[in-house]
Amino acid sequence: MKPLNYAILKHFTKVEEASASHVVEALKDKYGDFKALNEKEVLTALMTAEANGLLEESRYELSGSGDVVIYYRAHQEGLEAINKYIKD
Amino acid sequence: MTKKSTAAAIAAKDKLKASFFKKGVTIGLLSGLTYGLFAAFITLAMQRGIWGDWYGDNTAGLSTFTIVFILGALGTALNDICSAVWALINCGRKGKLQDFFRTLSTAPGKMLMVAAIMGGPIANVAYIIGIQLAGSIAIPITALCPAIGAILGRVLYKQELNKRMALGIIICVSASIIIGSVGIGGDTGDSIVLGLVIAFVAALGWGLEGVLAGFGSSMVDSEISITIRQVTSGVANFLILLPILGLLGGGITLPFELAGQAFASGSAMIWFAVSGFFAFISFMWWYQGNSMTGAAMGMATNGTYSFFGPLSCWVLLGIIMGQEGWSLTAIEWFAAVTMAIGIWVIAMNPLDLIFKKKEEVIDEAA
Repeated sequence: MKPLNYAILKHFTKVEEASASHVVEALKDKYGDFKALNEKEVLTALMTAEANGLLEESRYELSGSGDVVIYYRAHQEGLEAINKYIKD
Repeated sequence: MTKKSTAAAIAAKDKLKASFFKKGVTIGLLSGLTYGLFAAFITLAMQRGIWGDWYGDNTAGLSTFTIVFILGALGTALNDICSAVWALINCGRKGKLQDFFRTLSTAPGKMLMVAAIMGGPIANVAYIIGIQLAGSIAIPITALCPAIGAILGRVLYKQELNKRMALGIIICVSASIIIGSVGIGGDTGDSIVLGLVIAFVAALGWGLEGVLAGFGSSMVDSEISITIRQVTSGVANFLILLPILGLLGGGITLPFELAGQAFASGSAMIWFAVSGFFAFISFMWWYQGNSMTGAAMGMATNGTYSFFGPLSCWVLLGIIMGQEGWSLTAIEWFAAVTMAIGIWVIAMNPLDLIFKKKEEVIDEAA
């Protein structure tokens, strides 16, 4: 089992794009009992990864409640870095 | 999306990103403030119990080298061990202890351990030897670490570093140098050039730590990063730093004999527990700030410790504890304002404020 933050980043090597809520949903089975598996903390992890060039924003939309939902994806360089530093 | 909802989404997204950046800057500044508190409490700890005798009457008959260097390093080592305990407790409380152990053997985990050794024992030894060889003039050299961090961040991770940011860093480093220069007298050592070169190694070590740790924290949870940092640094200080200093003066077992007495000195250890707590918070926020805003901004905001350190000592030791000689000089206040201007210049273009206002006026007129 990988640390939660690694699993969050690794998720982007398997999907085209994902929002924080998608990540939470996808990791729920394995990491459901982790306190840090919530939208707020996952979004912070995604924005931090973006600030360090691992992920990039792919698109955004407004949710039904009027909040912005940002989708992220791993570009080629980010993908290579994630796979280089986080082994399967 | 309609035009209206697109505009609302853009505004909401910009707001979210701006608040993330502001949070990073705030965390960076708080890391500087808590570093100042850590400095004040460790100073207090090293006046209590057995330390009061070592630095006072010295009934144990310790040599000057031991008092200046070994005791200094021992204080750091005790602080780091206490800090590591706080970090481990925090990890346990948040349910991250297993992730801490899982991270240790991974590449980012090892990167964080290298960062801790660079910034811990290596930079500390270089800092101590630098001062020994060149005198206190070596101290301002170590204030170059934010600039080194920013340059390494640019080279290693292609982080943004434009001319405006470089100017801001120069302003911040100049302010740190001004503060570091206060009190420099005629105590120059035997070999100034070598001492300054070695002091530069300290700046390089801390600069490299900031960059490696910032990048490592982009993959590792910052609460786990700091636990790796403090455990590595605490252990390495005891296994690397203290034996080296022991060999340089007094014998390899001397630091450990002193460590045993220090651990037994309860009235000092209470304050080491407090300083360790603030060190844990400060380093965690330093790593987090670096990973959220990039090394240039993160290291500049953390660099405010060179002002917050004297400020915290003044408040805690001067005002609260009533000790003399801790008030801040006019030069320190001047440097603090200069530093704030430097951080502002790194964070944003001051000219934007003027032109943005003009554009808004034109928009309203239209």
